[in-house]
Formats: sequence, C-alpha cells, structure tokens
Amino acid sequence: MDAFNILIANLGIGFGVAFTLQNLLYCFIGCLLGTLIGVLPGIGPIATIAMLLPATYALPPVAALIMLAGIYYGAQYGGSTTAILVNLPGESSSVVTMLDGYQMARKGRAGAALSVAALGSFIAGCFGTLILAAFAAPLAELAFKFGPAEYFSLMVLGLIGAVVLASGSLIKAIGMIILGLLLGLVGTDVNTGVSRFAFGIPELSDGIGFISVAMGVFGFAEIIANVDMKEARETFTNKVSGLLLSWADFKNTIGAIIRGTGIGSLLGILPGGGALLAAFAAYTIEKKLEKNPPIPYGQGNIRGVAGPEAANNAGAQTSFIPLLTLGIPPNAVMALMVGAMTIHNIQPGPQVMTSNPQLFWGMIASMWIGNLMLVILNLPLIGMWVQLLKVPYRILYPAILMFCCIGVFSVNNNSFDVLITVLFGVLGIVFLRFGCEAAPLLLGFILGPMMEENLRRAMLLSRGDPTVFLTRPLSATMLAMALAMVVIISLPAISKKRKETFVEE
Amino acid sequence: MVSRRQFSLAASAAAVAALAPAARAQIYPTKPLRLVIPFPPGGATDILGRVLAQKLGDLLGQQVVVENRPGAGGAIGSELAAKAPPDGYTILLATVSTHSIGPALNPKTPYDVKRDFAPVIQMADATNVLVLSPTLPVNSLRELIAYARANPGKLNFSSSGNGTIVHMTGEMFKMATGTFVVHIPYKGTALAIPDLVSGQIAFMFDNISSALPHIKSGKVKALAISALKRSALLPDVPTMDEAGMKGFESNTYFGVFAPAGTPAAVVQRLNAEINKALQTQDFRERLAVHGAEPVGGTPEQFARVIERETVKYAAVIKRAGIKPE
Repeated sequence: MDAFNILIANLGIGFGVAFTLQNLLYCFIGCLLGTLIGVLPGIGPIATIAMLLPATYALPPVAALIMLAGIYYGAQYGGSTTAILVNLPGESSSVVTMLDGYQMARKGRAGAALSVAALGSFIAGCFGTLILAAFAAPLAELAFKFGPAEYFSLMVLGLIGAVVLASGSLIKAIGMIILGLLLGLVGTDVNTGVSRFAFGIPELSDGIGFISVAMGVFGFAEIIANVDMKEARETFTNKVSGLLLSWADFKNTIGAIIRGTGIGSLLGILPGGGALLAAFAAYTIEKKLEKNPPIPYGQGNIRGVAGPEAANNAGAQTSFIPLLTLGIPPNAVMALMVGAMTIHNIQPGPQVMTSNPQLFWGMIASMWIGNLMLVILNLPLIGMWVQLLKVPYRILYPAILMFCCIGVFSVNNNSFDVLITVLFGVLGIVFLRFGCEAAPLLLGFILGPMMEENLRRAMLLSRGDPTVFLTRPLSATMLAMALAMVVIISLPAISKKRKETFVEE
Repeated sequence: MVSRRQFSLAASAAAVAALAPAARAQIYPTKPLRLVIPFPPGGATDILGRVLAQKLGDLLGQQVVVENRPGAGGAIGSELAAKAPPDGYTILLATVSTHSIGPALNPKTPYDVKRDFAPVIQMADATNVLVLSPTLPVNSLRELIAYARANPGKLNFSSSGNGTIVHMTGEMFKMATGTFVVHIPYKGTALAIPDLVSGQIAFMFDNISSALPHIKSGKVKALAISALKRSALLPDVPTMDEAGMKGFESNTYFGVFAPAGTPAAVVQRLNAEINKALQTQDFRERLAVHGAEPVGGTPEQFARVIERETVKYAAVIKRAGIKPE
C-alpha cells in the first residue's frame, strides 16, 4: 500500500502542475495540432514535432513537453478520422484502421466506426497513462531482458503473423513481404559499413525512407487510383451520423479494446515497437480470435477498428516509458522528444523522475487530461474535422498531395525523398491493379532490416553459434510460437477455410 | 575579481550588440545567414548548432537560420554547404566524422575537405567516456586491460556503427593495449545500453552526455574519459591518460566551416564573433551541459586540428582494416 500512497502523492504533484492555466493551454494546443495533422493525410507527428522543436525554446520545459506529447497522441486520434472517412492513413499507424474502418463507412456505419475508434483510443489512452505512472520503472526492466536473439525471434514471429494477417492470396502476401524485405536491404550495412544497392546516390546510403514508402504506396497510389476512377469511390464525409455507439456494438468491441490496450501497452515499451506495430499486432489477434465473424475482416468488422485503435493509442502512451525511465527513445518521435528535453537542459533518463518530479508527473497527468480533451475534440466536434475533408476532390486531392510532399520533404529537407515517394506511388498503383496488399510489404520493409541487424548481432555475440536462438528461453518460446502458427496455417482444414474467407470479396 | 571580469565581458558584449547593426550592417551581414546542420534534429550537432545560431544571430545583428540536412553520415549536408555560394551567408557546423573520419574512410565522399571548405573556428570538443558492463569483475582501466588480455576474443565492445568516432576510439584502445575484443555495431550507442547492462557487451566508448544518465543511475560503470583533461560532468572519473594509457586521446570536434572562396574578411568576422560567443558565460554553460568543452581560436588553428585528426584516424582505419567497400 505504501507504493500506492506514493503513487497518489506523485499524481497529486502531477495534476497540480498540469492544471495550471498555462499548461492546460499548451496541452490543448498540442492536442488540437495533433488532431489537425492526424486528420490531414501526409503530415505526421514526426514532421510536426521536428518543425515545432525550435519554437519550444521560449517555453518552460514542462509546457514544451506537454505540448509536444499532445501532438503525438493527438495524431493517433485524428489519424483514424481520415482513415475511416477517406481511406487514407492520416497518420502512419492508422494504416490498419483503414482496413475495416473505411469499409464500415461504405456500409453507412461511419458514425459507429468513428465513435468506437474514439472510445478505444480513450480507454487505451487512460490505461496507457496509468501504466506509465504505475509501472514506469519496473516495466523498463522488461526491455532489458531482450537481447539481439530475442529481438530476432520476436520479428520472425511478427513476419509470420503478417502472412496470416494478409487477406487474399497467401502467395501474394509472401511475395509482398519478400519485396518489402528486399527494399529494406537498400542502404548502409550496419556491420561492415558497405553501401548496398545505393547506386552511388548518397541519399540512398541511409536506405529508402519509411515515410516515402508508406506515403507512396498508401497515400499517392490511393489518390491516383481515385482520379482514374472518376469519383467512383466515395468518401463518407456527409454520412456521419449515429455517433452514439449501440449497446450491441459496445459489448462486441469491449473485449477487442481491452486486448488492443494490453498489446499496445506491451509493444509500446519495446524499442522499435510503438504505435504502428501495436496496431498490426492487435489486428492479427482480433482476426485470429473471432472464429466466425459476422462480417469478415477487411470488409467492415467493427472489432478490426476497435482493437488496432486501442493498441496504437496505448502504444503511443507507453512508448514514453523507455524514454522517461532509461533515456532510450524507442522510435523516431521519442528521439525527437529526447532532443526537446536536452534543449531544455534535461537529460532524459532514470534521474528525471527524481530530479524533475514536476516535469515527470506533470507530463503524465497532462496526458490524462489530454486524452479527455481529445474525446471532446474528436466526437462532438467531429463535424469540424469532417469539414476539412468535405472539400471537393479537385481541391482536396491536389491539396493532400501537396501536404504529403511537404511532409515528406520536411523530414530530411530533401527533394529526393519526394521523388522516391512518387516512385512508390506508381508502384502502389501497380500493386492495386494486381490485387496485392501493401500492408505486408510495409511490415517486411520495417522488420527486415531490424531482423537482419539482430540476427547478425546475435550471431556475432555467439561467435557464429546458431543454437543461441534456442538456448535462450524467451527466444525459444517465440520461435516455437512462430512454428505453431506455420503448422496451423498449413493444416489442410484451416487453409481451405482461409481460402473461403478471403478469396471472394 | 571574477565578477569584474564577467562585468567587463557583459559590457563589451552589450557594446558590440549596440554597435553591430549601425556600424557593420552595410558590409556584412545584410541578410539572414543559413547554418547547415548535416544531422537530424535532436542530435548533439543539432543542439549545439541551435545554441550557436541563437548567440551568433544576436552578435551579428542578423538572424541565423538552422537548416537540418541529414543523411549519408553527414555527407549530404556537408556537400550542400561546400557547393553553396561562398558569400558568407551559408555556413556549416560539422564534426570529426564528416571532416576527418568520413573522408578517410570513404574515397567516394562527395567533397574534399581541403579544397572545398574554409575552416572558420573549432567551436567545441566533446569527449567520450569508457563505460563498462556492471557484470564484469573489473574496477579500473588497468584491470580491464588485464582482463581483456586474459580472455582474448571473448569480450565484445559496442559502437554506434562502423566508422563512427565511438568505433574508432574502441579500435584505438585495442591497438594501444594489444587486446582482441570483438566489435559489435549498433545503430546508436543508446541502443547498445540494454546489452551492455545485461553483460553481452563488455564495454563501450560513448559520448559523455548520452552516457551520463546511465552512469549516474549505476546501470553502467564509468572507467575513464578519452580527453586529456577531466570533464566537469564527471569530475571523479580519471582520464585514460591518468589511468595508465599515456597520451590516449579521442574527441569529437565541432567546428564551423564556410565554403572555400568565402572572403577572408567574412571568415575573420565570423571567427571573431564566435570567439566572442565562446567567452560568454551562458554560452559556455549551455555547451557544458552537453559535454562539450568550448575551444575557439583562429581558423589556422582549426585547420591544424582537422589535419591532425584526419591523419590519426586514417592510421586507425588502415591498421584495423576498416573498409567500406
């Protein structure tokens, strides 16, 4: 109980800090900006935080961090709106929300999709914040249990999961994953420093940018395909009604929300994880758990929206744990937060909790307040955000393309990245024509280089002994799970059923 | 006495600030300057660059705009600055990795340090600290060397990637001690910390400011620092030199460059203003927080440092057999 009392006392400090007028204001500005950039396709939190970093010099550190954090988790909320209504990833981690959210909107259930996304995000956000407050220190120890061998095995599990995740042809899914892995090979090899497939272009020596690939195959390709179809595909900005979730929907999704929250909280802590991976994982699990879905996944199943939305928000929240407790940024956004903290002379790390308790607990309390603000921003005011998307296509599409280009450009201030994005846009069109899903490609692209890096690192550490993956218990468990998945999916009965579920539209 | 000096510094800074726009605006600068940072926002170079931009802007009476141009280990931003018009309105904040190690490592580097750049000033020096896994039964530098000699090929050291200063320092350590330790590269020193804590990695040289929180929390042990002078951030940690490795030194220089052909008067003006900035207390303090020691001096002194460091790391690259192709 002592620990509990300390926690309450700490949260007291936190709310004391967060409830000052100035901090409430910056929290609101952060959430508002986050929602805005989340709604607008193409501009993500990375670009926004990077652009706003210089502007935070003038603010006190607590206010600056509260605002920047608000942008990050606010974008997770806003991204789902665009994903559901326009079938564009407003923010990279809402890629998964698109799969079922947009299909729900097509079937006239945009309101339900939006509110379940907001509800899932809110529950997950509150829970993630609580986890962050209560378990920050002990949970960070979990990440220490993961060495290179464990990471490699986790990623094998992730990729196998991605095959299962893909709807449609298994062969195409495997093909797309391998293509993703191959694209991930471009760039400088970490171990030897050799430049691979860079063709002497310095920009390629860091590899193809994740944002370029994601924006290209999802954003650009979608827009180009739509132009081609002469407005055949609708966006559902007029049909947002029924925002109150029915009891049946609530009962149906609460389990998915809780599972998504759990997965998101866990994956958010792991380096390299964060919101996107959490959303993918939650989707896979929902799909696996619901044996006979009334509406197949990929065609508007509400649990396919609830799980990933909860997961990406929980992941966004808990990815602050390694940052605030160890000073290790688990993803690009957190790396920027490190920058923001150092600008204000705060060394991120375990001592933040003791040397800057006002900052640490103030930020955590502000996250809870921010989550509340976001529900208000996103549900009753949904009409306002929808207005943004109601602009006619002839204006909306060029504007989206322009925002995408600005977003891509602003990451490295380099026009080369814009060219690469266009290239992937064209490639994305080809994929669409052949009915190949881009999601497995993206996953292969992210996991491939991480997998290679950890495989080679584990082998270097074991001096070339491959049994290291089996002798370390955590690693062995994950490999066994991956093997089990392969066996299950190749069982004749299951593979037949899988075909029935996925092949026909 | 100190307060008098501070007072006169403040007074002269104020005088310069008051005079600068009136007396010098006609000559240079008449418009905002662009400071290219060849690394992404949030990194050490970016943070030091932003501190510099603010101070230099005040002193020049013109805004100094920071532009991050990351990529290819700093080569993209450096090339951009090399090819910018040599008029003093584009300057670059570069480091030992872009201007000494990089060109020595990669023959295809798209610029030639001597031909394409006019050194302006060495702004700061950042030192590395040798951090040790807490699982190792070792408490001093001498013990580490003895332990590594007794266990050849069994220990690992990590770095933030092939050809980084952190890697170079590790290789220098191996050469100087005649030990065989396996190099395990990561994509950043922070990512190696968990493996260092768990003991899979025995030791690592890390930038002092990024290693500091882990040292203070006791997750890793600090053995020695790679500068010849102790650091104010870790006053109790000896230098490598003191701890038994005479003359061992490996620092990251941060320096300002202009494109070659920039008028000498402009280079002199920039050099003078940055030297002035380096004398101010608040600027020195902000550098110190990030583990950077203010340096300063003339462009010629900086050129000699670049030359010395390039020769030093070229030798390490050759002897350790580090080859990118």
